Amino acid sequence: MSLIGETLERCLEAETAEDADLIMLRGQSRTLTVCEVKNGKVERFSRVNLGGIGVRVLMDNKSWGFCSTNSFDFESIETALKNAIALGKATSKPNRKQISLEHSKATVAKVKAPLKKKPDLEAQEIVQIPQQACDGARGAGANIADVKATYLCIEDDRNFLSSEGAKIQQESTRIMLFIDVVAKQSGLLCPASENLGHTGGLELFDEAPPQTFGREVGIKALDLLKARPPPSGKFPVIIHPTLCATLLHEAIGHPLEADLAMSGGGFGNRVGEQVSSRLVTIYDSGLVPRGLGYFPYDDEGVECKRTDLITQGILKSFMHDRTSAATAKTAPTGNAHAWDYSVEPLIRQTNIGLKAGDFSEEEMVEDIKEGLYLEGTFGGQADSNADFTFGFQNARWIRNGKLMETLRGANVAGNAIEVFKTVDAIGKHAVLRPGACGKFQFAVQGRIAPLIRCEIMVGGMGG
Amino acid sequence: MNSLEDWQAFSDLVHKTMTKLGRFSEISLAESFFTNSESTEVTIRNSQIFTQNKRVDSGVGFRIAVPHNRVGFACTNIVNERTILEAAQQALGIAKASAELGNFCMPFKRKVPSVKGLCDPRIIEARVEDAVDVAERAINAAEGFDKRVIAKDGRVIFTSQRVGIENNQGVDLEEQRTEAVVYLGGGGEQEGEVTSSCYDIQFSRTIDLTPEAVGESAAQQVTQMFNPKPVKSFQGTVIFAPQAVSYQIVEVLIDALQGSNVLSGKSAWSDKAGQNVAQDSLTLIDDASLPHGVGARSFDDEGSASQKTMIVDKGNLQSFLHNATSAEAMGSENTGNASRSIQGFDLADMIIGQGYRTTPAIAPANLTVHPGNKSQEEFISETSKGVLVTSMAGFPQAGSGMISAQLSQAFFIEGGEVKHPMKGGMISGVVFDWLQTISGIGDDPKQFQNCTVPSIRVEDAKIVGASRG
Repeated sequence: MSLIGETLERCLEAETAEDADLIMLRGQSRTLTVCEVKNGKVERFSRVNLGGIGVRVLMDNKSWGFCSTNSFDFESIETALKNAIALGKATSKPNRKQISLEHSKATVAKVKAPLKKKPDLEAQEIVQIPQQACDGARGAGANIADVKATYLCIEDDRNFLSSEGAKIQQESTRIMLFIDVVAKQSGLLCPASENLGHTGGLELFDEAPPQTFGREVGIKALDLLKARPPPSGKFPVIIHPTLCATLLHEAIGHPLEADLAMSGGGFGNRVGEQVSSRLVTIYDSGLVPRGLGYFPYDDEGVECKRTDLITQGILKSFMHDRTSAATAKTAPTGNAHAWDYSVEPLIRQTNIGLKAGDFSEEEMVEDIKEGLYLEGTFGGQADSNADFTFGFQNARWIRNGKLMETLRGANVAGNAIEVFKTVDAIGKHAVLRPGACGKFQFAVQGRIAPLIRCEIMVGGMGG
Repeated sequence: MNSLEDWQAFSDLVHKTMTKLGRFSEISLAESFFTNSESTEVTIRNSQIFTQNKRVDSGVGFRIAVPHNRVGFACTNIVNERTILEAAQQALGIAKASAELGNFCMPFKRKVPSVKGLCDPRIIEARVEDAVDVAERAINAAEGFDKRVIAKDGRVIFTSQRVGIENNQGVDLEEQRTEAVVYLGGGGEQEGEVTSSCYDIQFSRTIDLTPEAVGESAAQQVTQMFNPKPVKSFQGTVIFAPQAVSYQIVEVLIDALQGSNVLSGKSAWSDKAGQNVAQDSLTLIDDASLPHGVGARSFDDEGSASQKTMIVDKGNLQSFLHNATSAEAMGSENTGNASRSIQGFDLADMIIGQGYRTTPAIAPANLTVHPGNKSQEEFISETSKGVLVTSMAGFPQAGSGMISAQLSQAFFIEGGEVKHPMKGGMISGVVFDWLQTISGIGDDPKQFQNCTVPSIRVEDAKIVGASRG
């Protein structure tokens, strides 16, 4: 056990600890390395060293309290524990409903996310990664006005200890590369962006050399200068994995998080019912190799296995933390995750996936008389009633079964339940994509998405 | 580190490190930005208070430049003499590996205004029970307003923060600030139809929140959303309520106004300085020195004095927003808009975090649209066919100013009356085009985190209906 682990263990044995029904302690150290190159120049190069302790307690089996501190010494942690207890007590009133958590097994584990090439580079070598991506994009053509390439490495050492006897240490490294390009011609600005990312090391760039990656995004932005705006209205669409990943996360993922699902509406109270097309099978799994949401255990010490959410269109389960699972009288699914030690875990997706089908892209296109092929993502939003909206970066017209001219980006919107009923074809290959989410606190997540065909509303400005 | 003594000890450690850095002849510019913050937060989930949080954090970030303007940054929240010096040395190491940034600079010492009312001792002394009380009052107000309404989610947050900045050009500043926030999101169900989430939010520098007003407003919005109907697509008048203005429209304006974007040509207003960019009813200022102002402060996040800046005067673009570096590069006045808060949805920024964890970008302190003299009701009564947009969802497109947003809370207007809430539907257009069709500014300004904005009415906007045909 590490030094943090030992201090946390001492804290569990402190006299104060006896007042709480359950104590969960999380100690973490995190190092972030960020190198951002803008138009060929290192604009930001940062090293962020963070560490601290989060103390979470359940009081009178009714109410949670949480306190975090950036100090690692025993006195500070004990003060945090006292604070957490006082916070928990503030609402554990007699008339409050009980939270009857299922007893958790005392897992003792030490896990390390697989990694092939350690990111132990000299500063000069780090700069090369975003620099090459930036060069690639700038080399795509004269009308590239602005390029920002950002390399990011997150190294985490997380310790979890609970009064139930759990002792879990998880180490992981995550590498990402983001690129944002703006092409400009006579006042028209066309943005394009793309992200790379995985849980693992620098082997990420063996498959996707930064220069090639940058160039591809540059070409996309340049193509958009010649494109017309997309139309508006409801269309049959084919959604590329880059966008399907966002659709999965926003449209289906969020409304299937138990805290949102159980607030009424959307998918609430519909477990066991047919909620979407029979072609649709959706799961969430913390164990997808290289997924940005690779977590063997969640921040309540629960194992993150595969959870079947929708199987052949039938709603099987929500994503739960221990509290929501207790309310729904089911087992927790390992979806309690906190961005770092300083915040309390929330119900989050890890790696959400849509099972591949048996259609080729050609087969999907040839059935459409008039429709759109949507690609690339600009992020989105979702409501607990399953309404969603998110942006695509570019599109192609489909007419009479053929892919036609390129169109610019816009947003799409709809209700997940309605849209997923219209899914009538799913592609053969599902692709692992990096993702991120800002539900109250930040999270990095994976998504496994194939091509899909459905009907959706497009908010374009063209005719 | 709640006490003043602890803060002084921390501040002394940082100053001592800065003195040590002064002996490194290879350093041309050095800056430390350090904070200590403490927040108490109460979370509401489905009609109940779900959890109570307290967060204590402190840390220091160093920006260091070596000759030829090569810059590095490193920070730590592990506070002791060794770790602080290590962070400073890391920043120096990184600077040596960086490339030249032409106009990089840091502000010189200058008198800063003393902005009153930024710190309320009652927030510093508040107990969790006080936050719980605010949360309960908000829930009760919402659910007491109409029994179909559920307080789905909400937050009450009390924050107090001490900020310090020192650089080797004479800047040496400290300030204590407090903030209180109450947020309530409500939803409702009637005949199997679930409304979208409707919310209200209140920010204050003092503890004097009115959670009843927030709860009631959220609930009232929910009850207005029952029995929505789809409409057909059309072009018409759109009245953006303050909440709709505060998010996507303000986001697009900030993007166009950031000096760094103007320099790189990414701003749609890059070549519009001194020109007309909107109807003359639009006047836009940024006021960082407003007493008691949410977002106000005596100095910005690199130590430049706060000021009031005229940005758009009766439709004419007067100034962009700058920090020291962008002002130097453009030969403009530094408007004191260096900010270490997260702007928009930049993935790297979200991962790094804000405050001492990051380097300063550019942001308004409190972007203010001068209110007009018409009420929302008058706007509605003058509209033959249009939409009142209370809330829209989705991100605007950076740079181009394009918005194609889901109408998450909107009402169809015909013959001067609100006919019904809208089911589905989107609005699509370019903010810069809308600014040229403004036909009225409302008399109803509302304070948000980084702006104070009233309703804005525009003409000929494109509404995408969910109804076919």
